Amino acid sequence: MSGARVLVVDDEQQILRALRTSLRGAGYEVETAESAEGALASAALRPPDAVILDLVLPDGSGIEVCRELRTWTSTPVILLSAVGEEREKVAALDAGADDYVTKPVGIDELLARLRAVLRRTAPSSEAVITIGELVVDLEKHAVTRAGLAVHLTPHEFELLRVLAVNEGKLMTHRSLLGEVWGPAYAHESNLLHVNVSQLRRKIEPDRAHPRYLLTEPGAGYRLVDPTAEG
Amino acid sequence: MAGVTASIDVLERWVPVLSLAVLYIFAVLPVAAFWGLAYAIALSVASMLAFNFFFLAPVHTLTLADSRNWFALAVFVVTAIVVSELAARTRRRAREAALLAEIATSLLEHGTVGSELERISAEAARALQVERASIVLGPGARDGVELFAGGRRVGSIRLEGGRSGDASARRRLLPALASLLGVAIDRERLAGEALEAEALRRADVIKTALLRAVSHDLRTPLMAISTSAGALARTDLTLDEPDRADLLATILAASDRLDHLVGNLLDLSRLQAGAAEPEQELLDLEELVVAALDELGERGRLVEVSLPDEPAAVRVDAHQIQRVLVNLLENALKYSPRGEPVRVQVSAGTSEAVVRVIDHGPGVPSDERERIFEPFQRGARGGEAPGAGLGLAIARGFAQANGGRIWVESRSHQGATFVLALPATEPVAMAR
Repeated sequence: MSGARVLVVDDEQQILRALRTSLRGAGYEVETAESAEGALASAALRPPDAVILDLVLPDGSGIEVCRELRTWTSTPVILLSAVGEEREKVAALDAGADDYVTKPVGIDELLARLRAVLRRTAPSSEAVITIGELVVDLEKHAVTRAGLAVHLTPHEFELLRVLAVNEGKLMTHRSLLGEVWGPAYAHESNLLHVNVSQLRRKIEPDRAHPRYLLTEPGAGYRLVDPTAEG
Repeated sequence: MAGVTASIDVLERWVPVLSLAVLYIFAVLPVAAFWGLAYAIALSVASMLAFNFFFLAPVHTLTLADSRNWFALAVFVVTAIVVSELAARTRRRAREAALLAEIATSLLEHGTVGSELERISAEAARALQVERASIVLGPGARDGVELFAGGRRVGSIRLEGGRSGDASARRRLLPALASLLGVAIDRERLAGEALEAEALRRADVIKTALLRAVSHDLRTPLMAISTSAGALARTDLTLDEPDRADLLATILAASDRLDHLVGNLLDLSRLQAGAAEPEQELLDLEELVVAALDELGERGRLVEVSLPDEPAAVRVDAHQIQRVLVNLLENALKYSPRGEPVRVQVSAGTSEAVVRVIDHGPGVPSDERERIFEPFQRGARGGEAPGAGLGLAIARGFAQANGGRIWVESRSHQGATFVLALPATEPVAMAR
């Protein structure tokens, strides 16, 4: 994905400088903005392929920027958040952000996350999704792992489907509950935890060390391909 | 009494004279009520003698013809005594009630029982008609009469030089006094607890602010360092020489910022631990201003300076006051719009040497002018500028450690003026 345009939004000059030089070195075209207003203006003027967005901005919050961006673009958004901003982080994810990293984040992790969100810019529309040894057949409602059939309840299958279609993307509790059970269940976290736990029993080779269905503490879940690089 | 005698003289034409004797009560009553029993009895006897002398046969003698008149006179004296005793008792009760009301008021109006104890003791001594009363608070106090309220010993009272006949007054007054003291002690304890809870809540607010400040202000430069160093360490990135120089410069600048923050945190903890003992020496305030501007480097050149003709002699800790000045200047530079200069004025007064740091930033609203000097607090408009909100707290701490004061003057949208005032020293000493 080299050559992709990345918009970096942060009010800290030192961070902007470090990210600009590093990302350019990695082959990205970099735009920068120091405020919510500047971010929205820049995104409208030169639509970016991805946005790296500081959660706390001088003239507003990253949540607002996410919400605003989502009214007209599905460009992936990675949040830069700090410890102590958990609630804002989840709100921004619910508002449409794709992922988050916690400050101070190293360039390696940031580049990996950036590659991941750019990879899935076009959501999968295939009928069969393959993630590592896991094969999800959306038409037949059938799941196999390493060739063996996995039997899921309708809700478990629906949960796996939503996660698989958004492979690699951090899905918040709220969005998963909304998509699988309906908006009325958006706060029934128990329902989600129980089904995730059941799903892990069936798809994880080792439940003590999940490799497919990962927990992002305090934020949500993501389904990843354990065989994929970085 | 003379008035009553004259009235009887007039009235005796229509009414039997003996029944008119009761009119003397009108003379005795007010005397009993205001001057007490002794005067009342004296007046009763005098009245009786006057009645006898003027109206009873044989008139104009003190002898009585009819022995029934003796009986009437005796009844009259007894009545006078009873009435005056009742009046005196009412007066005592009123005085006791007034005392309790006064004690209650003073306990309610003034904060602490301890500071009112002397006055309460004096009032109690007056009400109980003793020379001296001393109250000791606390369940362990056993000196004298113990004071109980609600089954709990609140203290004791010692009475000296009193008459023994006031036992009933004590019985009435002391329990009421004890209850009042008990209520006051409870109120004080509750107020203390509320204060403690408030202190805890504030400590909690400061802790939260500290967490956020550390989280943001330490992690921001850390992230700049880790990103830049990480990029330099990778072999798969295309970085030319200017890029590498840029990343290195970012690492250095971020390290400086971390160092600065750690220094501020150390200064603050020293101040809060009371370990910032100033090493005072005789200095010209001007020198410290110049040194502070020098420390700011490039940014120091954005400051317009006006210095006094006379040296502004102060006796302060050079390092600490330089910190104060640097922090004030950094604050002003931070909030000044680009291109607007910060001004510094030094003036030497007779009692104080003053530095004014004037910016053209957003100013400080009046309700924030004290709060901004607390650690981890930033003005409502402070969100735009980096910093943990330590600079002003440290500045005030060091200024106070050197006997000085710092405050802010501000008009909204006209910028803020931070004023540092230090006690002036004889400039003559400087010349030597």
